[in-house]
Amino acid sequence: MPSIAKPIATHPTLQRNALGLTIRDYEGSMSTLCAGCGHDSITAAIIRALWELDTQPHMVAKLSGIGCSSKTPTYFLSGAHGFNSAHGRMPAIVTGAGAADRDLLYIGVSGDGDSLSIGLGQMCHAIRRNIRMAYILENNGVYGLTKGQFSASSDIGSKSKRGEPNRMAPIDPVRLALSLGATFIARSFSGDKEQLVPILKAAFTHRGFALVDVVSPCVTFNDHEGSTKSYKHTRKNTLRATQADWVPPQSEILAQISKSGTTSVAMHDGSVVHFSTVPKDYDPTDRRKVAAYLDDQPANAVVTGLLYIDPNAPDMHELGQSSPTPLRDLAYEKLCPGSAELERMQEEFR
Amino acid sequence: MPQYIRLIAQGKYTDAYMVNRESNVFPAILGRTCDRPCEPACRRGRLDGAPVAICRLKRVAADLKGDISHLLPKIPTESNGKRVALIGAGPSSLTVANDLRPLGYEVTIFEKQNKPGGLMRSNIPSFRLPEKVLDDEVGTILDMGVDIRYNSPVSSLQGLLNDKYDAVFVGTGAPRGKELDLPGRKDTDRIHIGIDWLESVAFGHIDKIGERVLIIGVGNTAMDCCRSSRRLGGKDIKVMARRPRGYFKASPWELDDAEEEGIDIVINHAPKRFVVENGVLKGMEFERLEWDAEAKKSRVIDEVFLPADDVILAIGQENAFPWIERDLGIEFDKWGMPTVDKATFQSTRPGVFFGGDAAWGPKNIIWAVAHGHQAAISIHNHCQGVPVTDRPKQGSNLVSQKMGISEWSYHNDYNPSKRQKMQHVELTKRFQQLNIEVELGFDPEQTAREVQRCLNCDIETVFVEKRCIECDACVDICPVQCLTITRDGEESELRTRLSAPATNLEQAIYASNPLPQTGRAMVKDEDVCVHCGLCAERCPTAAWDMQKFDLLIPYAGAPNSGVSCTTSSVLA
Amino acid sequence: MHDVLRTRVNDFAVKLANVNGTGSASANGLLMQAIFRMGIPVCGKNLFPSNIQGLPTWYEIRVNKEGYSARALDYDLMVAMNSQTYDRDIKEVRPGGYLLYDSSWPLDPDLHREDITFLGVPLAELCNQNFDDPRVRILMKNIAYAGAMVATLDIDMDVVNALLEEKFAGKKALADSNRKALLLGYQYAKDHFECPLPFRLEKMDANKDKILIDGNTATALGAIYAGCTVAAWYPITPATSVMDGFKGFCEQYRKDPETGKNNYLIIQAEDELAAIGMVLGASWNGARAFTSTAGPGLSLMNELLGFGYYAEIPAVVVDVQRVGPSTGMPTRTQQSDVMMAAYASHGDTRHILLFPANPNECFHFAVKAFDLAERFQTPVILMSDLDIGMNDWVVPRLTWDDSYKPDRGRVLNAEDLEKKIGKFQRYNQEDENFVAARTLPGVSQKGAYFTRGSGHNKFGGYTEIPDEYQEVMDRLKKKHAAAAKFIPEPEYVPREGAKFGVIAMGGCDPAVREALDQLDRQGTPADYLRIRGFPFGEVVERFLAKHDFYFVVEQSRDAQLRSLLILETAVPKEKLRSVLVYGGFPLSSRHVVQGILSQI
Repeated sequence: MPSIAKPIATHPTLQRNALGLTIRDYEGSMSTLCAGCGHDSITAAIIRALWELDTQPHMVAKLSGIGCSSKTPTYFLSGAHGFNSAHGRMPAIVTGAGAADRDLLYIGVSGDGDSLSIGLGQMCHAIRRNIRMAYILENNGVYGLTKGQFSASSDIGSKSKRGEPNRMAPIDPVRLALSLGATFIARSFSGDKEQLVPILKAAFTHRGFALVDVVSPCVTFNDHEGSTKSYKHTRKNTLRATQADWVPPQSEILAQISKSGTTSVAMHDGSVVHFSTVPKDYDPTDRRKVAAYLDDQPANAVVTGLLYIDPNAPDMHELGQSSPTPLRDLAYEKLCPGSAELERMQEEFR
Repeated sequence: MPQYIRLIAQGKYTDAYMVNRESNVFPAILGRTCDRPCEPACRRGRLDGAPVAICRLKRVAADLKGDISHLLPKIPTESNGKRVALIGAGPSSLTVANDLRPLGYEVTIFEKQNKPGGLMRSNIPSFRLPEKVLDDEVGTILDMGVDIRYNSPVSSLQGLLNDKYDAVFVGTGAPRGKELDLPGRKDTDRIHIGIDWLESVAFGHIDKIGERVLIIGVGNTAMDCCRSSRRLGGKDIKVMARRPRGYFKASPWELDDAEEEGIDIVINHAPKRFVVENGVLKGMEFERLEWDAEAKKSRVIDEVFLPADDVILAIGQENAFPWIERDLGIEFDKWGMPTVDKATFQSTRPGVFFGGDAAWGPKNIIWAVAHGHQAAISIHNHCQGVPVTDRPKQGSNLVSQKMGISEWSYHNDYNPSKRQKMQHVELTKRFQQLNIEVELGFDPEQTAREVQRCLNCDIETVFVEKRCIECDACVDICPVQCLTITRDGEESELRTRLSAPATNLEQAIYASNPLPQTGRAMVKDEDVCVHCGLCAERCPTAAWDMQKFDLLIPYAGAPNSGVSCTTSSVLA
Repeated sequence: MHDVLRTRVNDFAVKLANVNGTGSASANGLLMQAIFRMGIPVCGKNLFPSNIQGLPTWYEIRVNKEGYSARALDYDLMVAMNSQTYDRDIKEVRPGGYLLYDSSWPLDPDLHREDITFLGVPLAELCNQNFDDPRVRILMKNIAYAGAMVATLDIDMDVVNALLEEKFAGKKALADSNRKALLLGYQYAKDHFECPLPFRLEKMDANKDKILIDGNTATALGAIYAGCTVAAWYPITPATSVMDGFKGFCEQYRKDPETGKNNYLIIQAEDELAAIGMVLGASWNGARAFTSTAGPGLSLMNELLGFGYYAEIPAVVVDVQRVGPSTGMPTRTQQSDVMMAAYASHGDTRHILLFPANPNECFHFAVKAFDLAERFQTPVILMSDLDIGMNDWVVPRLTWDDSYKPDRGRVLNAEDLEKKIGKFQRYNQEDENFVAARTLPGVSQKGAYFTRGSGHNKFGGYTEIPDEYQEVMDRLKKKHAAAAKFIPEPEYVPREGAKFGVIAMGGCDPAVREALDQLDRQGTPADYLRIRGFPFGEVVERFLAKHDFYFVVEQSRDAQLRSLLILETAVPKEKLRSVLVYGGFPLSSRHVVQGILSQI
């Protein structure tokens, strides 16, 4: 028979989280992406991270732009509101949604076309405003839905499926974010959930803009020999700068770099991001050192890990000194000055 | 099985029946009476606690099938010159006849009763197995040109051997009900041996029973006895069990059916003596027991008396071969059981074969049929001068089921329906006559739902590791977390590292050779795989495929018959 | 002619020609406000360049005791403070009029006109003598000419002093120098000219229930009263002061007394693409949100306006129209965004438009825009323009009904959703206005759905099936039509013996009304209909069935209102004639009268 939805059958030992939900409760509808798409793996990692964080599904809003990546919010957390916006415009929608209700977890899913071309400006400005959101950039170096054009993240020399090499320099979202003052910058690989899931958990906890650039191979247009965004190339050239683990609140907080190459950073909500297998002197809280580290790696290295974090920078609401109660929940009576005041204040217009 | 279940789903009842008949010549009979040894093996039970109602579906196919005569093997008009004698017209002998007649053997069956069927007729009450159903399926075989001689008990094997048969098959069952030698046993004629009593009821020799009946024993025969009693005038019927529930031999559904009919199942009572006064049965004394679950034994508390007009003993049955001379080269053990080869079913005397309950004691119809098939192979070999140990090999086939980019040739969706409940004739109606069949069979809607519960175990997940790019698509999509890509390891340790812990140690797990990109292994725990095929559907490189596994089970003279069979996953 | 002038009290026009960036605006405003406070009907029009410093700028003040407030094209007094524009400024003075100029330098004899009176005031000289700081001198020169005007027009000095006091309360030095400069000019005029001039002011009591306010400020105030909490915008002339105003009011009214935090968030976006996106995001999430922009910004917003229309998300957009196409003339007024706004975005889209005619309506229509946007779950565009938005208008006081409750439209809360059986279906079960209930994020899992700009069916699911797609599109059209009943009704002014009708919208209103009175006096009475919103309703249709022909007066080359009427009503094209004034300055009655008479 033709394609079916994922059966509701579950493993008899399927675990429940603190909310009593199984991981299946965090799924969405069936993916319509090509079989083997890296984006689907990221979706699975998002599902796992949300489940492990005991996230209430309705307290999440998932938003996207246009492109293959932007289809994915349909494929996770059907209990949350979704918003598939216009091409490159997701950051603005999230900014507005976040302005209205600061209490929700905003997950923005974007791609390299959506983020680094048509939506580059919006992404940069969302970073500037430190919008409280997880921005997941599903980066495959190619335009999939329009069948294989190079994208702004295509590396120099990477070959298209027809063998044509890309000659223009790529926009590296990690470097860009670093220079723009982003407060959470990570890179991972769709094929490495061991690394990706804890990064996502930390991103979902971060109080500010969390950029997670995920190399996510396009099996149909960019997984061939000569591509620098293929499964094979990525696996071969991945350089794990850090392995992060997210530890829930109430755990012991360490906050300095130890000699053993282990770093712990306390997040704003009391959780801790624990870095292990960190190269000596790598300080994920020092923007300049992170940039220098990136400079020192070989050109073809895909440096992964939670690379930079500043858990205490003020977000848009803190910068705007806005109400702790979500603006949308403020009673109208609190917002309208009333007729007497109107009468009074019009003396100023005479 | 999945193969015929799929055919039922497609409404191809006749085809389903014929697939079924390949391995089991009595689908309609077994569809009603089988002990269902297959159902505990059905993996559906691991998911929602209830296996597919395989047995009930068999009956659906049988009841709704069309004419099958043109589909049956052709019977040669010429004899192949070999004569085979079958003793007893029970399921094993009939199976032998079914397999040998198409090969031209002259088959003669000797039956002591005036009707064929053996225990299928004598011990299974007609409210469970209507006579017509029995007559139909037995008739199909007899119509193949079997020479059946009724009212012909064989009183001497020697005598039969003297008639120069090329082979003799003993399919006489386990005809002797076990005795309960307690005080008072012989003092009345109101104490009956269960299987004998059932036979008398079946053949019309008995048509009533007292109001108060005690059944001793709690196996399936006891269930048939108590329910028959209910229909012959019994009002206060108690089935007396020595142990608590959970230790009963009767199938759970038979117990349910009995209790539904108002039978009282009394646990923890051990028979002590029959109370007979002046040749009149008054009842029985029992020891009341207390079951110690830990020690797994009972302790006597006290004694009670239970009044009864009739007592039926249903505590087992045994073989009896008084008619086989002990000097024929057929060895018997100290319990009077013949020595029979497990593979060939041949006794220690070449040319004499045993099968069904006659071979190793009471089991059930489905086993008797299986014995018959194997014995027929042996008889064929024996008659053709081939060593009986020379068994045809089982074959198998794997065929991809992929039809399109996300299309499969089978219904791969998981149906969450619960096992369908069999509908029964209302209690008030069912006791009006002894032969009113209690079970109504599945209606079309129930059938449709039940067939969709099948997990298609024969459509296997086949993995080719050299194609795998480790994109995780299969791992992510699997609804039941069967798949893991991880470093290989020692099995017991590997079992703990999977997407879901593999705790069913009876279910093997499969690990591939190292994968090309990382050297990790693809590990599959088949335990609760629902064969939805999504792993294959989401695989970009066709490293996974869904392939139909046909197990080719050989039959006498037909080594290439194909039957879908439950097996496990394959990692190529 | 001179006799006529002599008798004129409270009925004349003054034009002030300045160089922008010199601080003339505050002097002009002072004069305007003083006249207003004298209880005299007045209007001021700022005709300014798209420039910060150095280019010509004009301010016109028309005083009219009858209350006509459109721009006058005949100037009784020209205050010529910009030597670059002497040439044309002198030409614009009506015969018999006056010209006041800075006589610190001699006037070029070539510019002399016999039929007007030149009033030279050595403003620069006076200021140079009295003020040290060169920057202050420039500023004070403006106040000095204002002083001269106080004398020549007989403006009430007490009123002016009171204004200066209010304006410079707590800034004594500034107040002093302003008063000093004012007196310099005043005294010079008194000493050298016959004061007052033949046209002059006299106190009235016409402004008791009036205020002097610009449309952008009123719009911002409307957003405050509507309960708007989120605003996103990109700076653009002439809409910037909407957000400036909103920010000012927020600081005044939206600082939470308990937490000290802001009960609002204003986001200055990176562009209009983002600004409208933010508004949609906030509205989708249940806040009242708006953006303000002008034509170029609206062009950029087209993309997401279509999204808001199709995905049915409320949004309030204030379009303060300016001259297009392209960058056009950013500081000049026009009504040329109408067609784009009505159908903004690709595909079949249509929006609800409101056409306020003055700042009072800006206030009320802004509130209405939020109600309509939420009730109809769609973008609503408030079509203001530069004339309304940036000029000070004398309008009736704003009133507020404290029983007002915002119309938040059909939004299911957690309780509603709990009661709901089965899956929430976003675009199903519409009400009598073809609006389906929506849900907000963060309320209940049961209300979760997917908002998308891609093809969807009534359940909210993705679709490419023609029937499913059309079903939704057809409902959207009906929904838009249903909104006609809820938008402000057109203003209908019948006139006895009318042989034809006149139709206008927005800022054309004062000029058209004045023109219709003039026409009536000339024996050409006409009915008038001022359209206040789109979609058009019954009243518009009925009006269009009444006469054989109509004049549609508007400020665009392509007669956009006329086009919209032809497209969206049953009126035959031939029945609609156009009077088009689209050069960028506000309309005058003369344009209308001439335009109509030339076509009858």
